[in-house]
Amino acid sequence: MTDPALFGILILERDPLTFVNLPGLIQVWLQDAGGFAAVGLVVYLLYALRAPKDQPASAKARVPLTMFMLVMGMVSLLCYAGYIAAWSIGYGRDTVNVVPLVEPGATVPYFPPQFAVKFQPMLLMFGGLFALLGIGQPFATDLFKLRFRRIWALTKVGFLETWRNRMFWVFVLFVLPFLFPAQWFIPIKAEDQLRTTIDWSSLSMTLLLLLPGTIIASLSIPDDVKRQTIYTIVSKPIERFELVLGRFFGFTLLVTVPLIFMTLGTWLFISTTTLDEKAVEETQKARIPHRGQLYFRARSNEYKGTNVGREFDYRKYIAGSKSTSERAIWAFENIPAAMAGTDRDAVPCEYTFDIFRLTKGDENRGVDINIRFTTWQCDQVPPTVRGDGMWRWAEAENEQKYKAEREDIDKRLAKGEIPGVSIKSLDYALPNTPGWKFVNDLAEKYGFYEVASVEVYDYHPSGVPVPAGLFRKAREGTPPTEKDGYRKPRVQTYVKCISDGQMLGMASGDLYYMEGEKSFTENFFKCSFGLWCQVTVAIGVAITLSTYLAGIISFLATLFIYLSAYLIEHLKDVAGGTSTGGGPFESLTRILGTDTPTAQLDRTAGVKTAEVGDVAFSWVFRRYVNIVPDVYAFSWTSFLKEGYNINFEYLAMNFILVVGYLLPWGILSYYLIRNREVAA
Amino acid sequence: MSETVVETRNLTKIYRDFWGRKKKVALNALDLTIQKGEIFGLLGPNGSGKTTTIKLLLGLLFPSSGDAFVFGEPAAKVEKNEKIGYLPEESYLYRFLNAEETLDFYGRLFDMPSETRKKRAAELIDTVGLANDKKRILREYSKGMRQRIGLAQALINDPDLIILDEPTSGLDPLGTRWMKDLILDLKKKGKTIIMCSHRLDDVQDVCDRIAILYGGDLQELGAVSKLVEDQKRLEIRASGVPLTDELKRDLAATIEKHGGKLESFGHPTTTLEDLFLRIVEESKTRPGRRYLPPVDGKK
Repeated sequence: MTDPALFGILILERDPLTFVNLPGLIQVWLQDAGGFAAVGLVVYLLYALRAPKDQPASAKARVPLTMFMLVMGMVSLLCYAGYIAAWSIGYGRDTVNVVPLVEPGATVPYFPPQFAVKFQPMLLMFGGLFALLGIGQPFATDLFKLRFRRIWALTKVGFLETWRNRMFWVFVLFVLPFLFPAQWFIPIKAEDQLRTTIDWSSLSMTLLLLLPGTIIASLSIPDDVKRQTIYTIVSKPIERFELVLGRFFGFTLLVTVPLIFMTLGTWLFISTTTLDEKAVEETQKARIPHRGQLYFRARSNEYKGTNVGREFDYRKYIAGSKSTSERAIWAFENIPAAMAGTDRDAVPCEYTFDIFRLTKGDENRGVDINIRFTTWQCDQVPPTVRGDGMWRWAEAENEQKYKAEREDIDKRLAKGEIPGVSIKSLDYALPNTPGWKFVNDLAEKYGFYEVASVEVYDYHPSGVPVPAGLFRKAREGTPPTEKDGYRKPRVQTYVKCISDGQMLGMASGDLYYMEGEKSFTENFFKCSFGLWCQVTVAIGVAITLSTYLAGIISFLATLFIYLSAYLIEHLKDVAGGTSTGGGPFESLTRILGTDTPTAQLDRTAGVKTAEVGDVAFSWVFRRYVNIVPDVYAFSWTSFLKEGYNINFEYLAMNFILVVGYLLPWGILSYYLIRNREVAA
Repeated sequence: MSETVVETRNLTKIYRDFWGRKKKVALNALDLTIQKGEIFGLLGPNGSGKTTTIKLLLGLLFPSSGDAFVFGEPAAKVEKNEKIGYLPEESYLYRFLNAEETLDFYGRLFDMPSETRKKRAAELIDTVGLANDKKRILREYSKGMRQRIGLAQALINDPDLIILDEPTSGLDPLGTRWMKDLILDLKKKGKTIIMCSHRLDDVQDVCDRIAILYGGDLQELGAVSKLVEDQKRLEIRASGVPLTDELKRDLAATIEKHGGKLESFGHPTTTLEDLFLRIVEESKTRPGRRYLPPVDGKK
């Protein structure tokens, strides 16, 4: 998920992480954190083992060596040795987490890691697990010595220090965007009124919390050492890790207090402002969308959507024509019970599309589309003849029955034979009117509903009601498993562009069913939790680094790691060797040879050497990418400003990510502070 | 049999540069034993290794070789700190806290319950004479006041071993005397005290034993009274006798008769500290007392 305000529409480059992703995430965490732990454990064991047996008791107490650590280290190394052996003969490769090959320069789509049960990933996982257990043993043992009272004392003193040094005045800067609203300086559309406020407040909060939080966290422990206040602390019976924890909680509290006030302030501002109706309609909501997976099909099975050459290749396009067989299809594997309740009349289907015009089209008119909703009992098949744009039912007999029944109802309506219904055709039926019952019954009976034509505008959220009966039908029985092992989705939604000469662009998040709606206020506060997680992560990293580095160096290092997170896609390209123009060595070769990034290089010895250098570099770089936090996973501003509900599940996953990310840093800080001569 | 509180065995600290090359030997093979109830002084010029020794005992530094034990535990163990109170050379405390908050903070570090902390803090604030200033933040304190609150934090846990680094630094003569009396009082309560100071008179006044360090090496170790005794000289004190030339001649003749030689003869001098304290006491009892210049060369 990214947050570019490119079009003011929710852009979901990746789905938010949910509990379903947890096993895969844990496995990858064990592999990554465990890899670092293994290196740390080996270094630690070598250091401890090389010390003479008759070393002083103080030295032994400082670098404890247990049989458990030794055994874990051995088992871990065995796992890694097994992995290298399996890798060298190509046995038991991870087949579920394979990065898809893309064109050079194209964005590598993000897929959350899945739990892989193959030999290689399992060995990596267990190698990491044993290494973490080994290196974490002294840490875990000492956790029992921690005392809340001591940690709280250090927390409080950290908080008081910044409070009494009047650092809170920095946060007063937050009122500036409200004193000088953006609309004074730049023209803002009425519907973007709330979006702009959210954007500004989010940006101000991020900067005002992240920067001071990181600076204080970076400087705190080095400052204690410099001013020697640490002498009177560590000469008390405290575990040194308590100092780290105390500082961490103190500064987390420090940023939490202004975050609460800033959130409340923004919320009050929004609540007391008279908002434009369009802004309220588009943003001041917390829609609960039910999303599906998008794929493209046409007469040819190979069709994957069209790239219209836009640099931002988030969306794929289908061509507009009455006779086109190209369809964008959303597959919904599951249908929540809330959407299929018997008390429910209709479920809104909302969508926002990008229109890429090949011709000017009709003035002041959008583009016409056709939407077809089907259940798993009502399979659709593409046409087989060129020029035939009609998709048909797999069971032609049912299609005939449906059409006949529908025509019969329309005739009766036209003649006014149905009492209490005033419409002349089911095309005009609206939810909560008597005519809608017929639409619902037909949809529930056949698992089919179609909106023959509806106009859409460029990046303008629109919607149509879908009879709830369709979803009741979809929930009946169990869909069969298809040949490729995948279960047939319960509902599919087919979108066709009818207008000639127009291309309709869409991404997976552009169409969804409205499962329900929640409170905007609640959503507003939930959004702040994501920001809190981001700042917490930065504070944790800064404090860990400051246990070893000087204050300013810790700050710069934290900033470097944190800013890397915003460039993660590019870094992954470099780490994965998919960046255009190659890695640093190949790029240098190109620069020296004045070759363009896409030019084919001669296979000279120099180029081959550069490629080997890039392979080595990318291996090292991948290790660095592993320590960069996933800040995008914590950013909920797009959800808030586009009026989408932020599930509690997403926030719970955020919290798990914070703990998972900071735990290895915590273990690192434990060893660093424990072995630091604070008076040196 | 007396109980050993501190023991160092071949304790050495070498500072090295980034490449591991030897930069300075701060302490070289120190062997010491300090018994329970002793006041032990560490003496030496700047850079002699006094503070390094203290930091090694507290675990603020790690020995390069050898070892240090406090209450029988290796110095690296945190648990031993339960029974130690430490007053650093400068009072390195958080200056944004007031006296009460400072003691509460350090009390919490000892995991002391709230009631005990409050009671103990109130007692100590009284003891160090800061009752009227307990709500002022330490930034506003004078150096002497900070030294007092520093001592209070060192005593918050009622420690068995008290380590004082330059305890009289920044104190006026009254404060110095108060501090020395307090140290002697702590000894009476059975506490063991290690102090290092540049002020030799302070050390002489309170210490039972001293170690003199120079260049990281232990140069001298023993009881103060024995070390300062000059076996080659004799001191005679008398009272009720006027100072006359005849007395001088008689004394010189008697000393020469026993093979000695009279070196000097005159009224004994007191210490400057005693003089100062006497004058302050007199000033208190005689308000309006002031210095008058001598008339015709005579006071």
